[in-house]
Amino acid sequence: MSESAPPAGIAIRVRSARGFINLRLNPRNRQALEAAERVLGQQAPLSANTFTGGEHNLYWLGPDEWLIATGAQRASELARELAEALKDFHAAVNDVSGGNVELLVSGANASMVLAKGCPLDLHPRAFAPGQCAQTGLGRAAVLLAAVDPSTYAIVVRRSFARYLRRWLENADSAGVPFRAAGKRQQAGYRSSP
Amino acid sequence: MLLIECPWCGPRAETEFSYGGEAGIFRPADPHALSDAEWADYLFYRSNPRGTHRELWNHAQGCRRWFGVERDTVSYRIKRTYCLSGASGGQPDGSAGGLEAGSGKRR
Repeated sequence: MSESAPPAGIAIRVRSARGFINLRLNPRNRQALEAAERVLGQQAPLSANTFTGGEHNLYWLGPDEWLIATGAQRASELARELAEALKDFHAAVNDVSGGNVELLVSGANASMVLAKGCPLDLHPRAFAPGQCAQTGLGRAAVLLAAVDPSTYAIVVRRSFARYLRRWLENADSAGVPFRAAGKRQQAGYRSSP
Repeated sequence: MLLIECPWCGPRAETEFSYGGEAGIFRPADPHALSDAEWADYLFYRSNPRGTHRELWNHAQGCRRWFGVERDTVSYRIKRTYCLSGASGGQPDGSAGGLEAGSGKRR
């Protein structure tokens, strides 16, 4: 994508009716991990900064922490089922649906618009679909996930959502130039292929 | 800006981190047994070396884990970063119990 490419604009959309669950357990405790995975019906990503799709989206947040994004209707029920399955283990399940908003940013220039306020290297070579990262965007702390080469999901605190949307709209508007590629050292990104 | 290698997330911009001061300082088991001078030493005095400094950082905007950093206070060069012993989830290289962050292997 060259800098002279015409600004195609990005589409920003709030993904409505989403529920979020924060899951904490030590994956070295295989029994606990498997109990959680049985309820979820899919494997939790153990590689740093990756997410898995399926019925739910499971984002790696830390070595013992995941964010489960699912339908709003399903979330509270799922949180109860997880809590029940993990009640004999050292684990924590918290329904954090009320605190988070998921935005979808798409468009050919999406990565360049995000790069205006994000210290990560967002080139698909470094941040490929299936990878996610908690980082800063503008002045907000976000969970950024590459869904496909031109679509990013952003999970942000509800109280920051309006700000972030305005920030994105501003970054997308004319007169706010893209930073020249290669002129600054960008933070890298580690994940397994 | 420093580029700090989080043991879990890899190299990230300094703005994502918060500094936690000198590493290896432990709260005395029985503060009442200390003299005022010893308590003040624990509370306020730091080694402030010229050269290699072991310090704590938190990946505040990332995985929110604490880890150790060895940084040269003259050149600001970071010599290495490492997980703290007993850190949740073990070592990223799997050496302390088989959690394979970043290695791609599952079980």
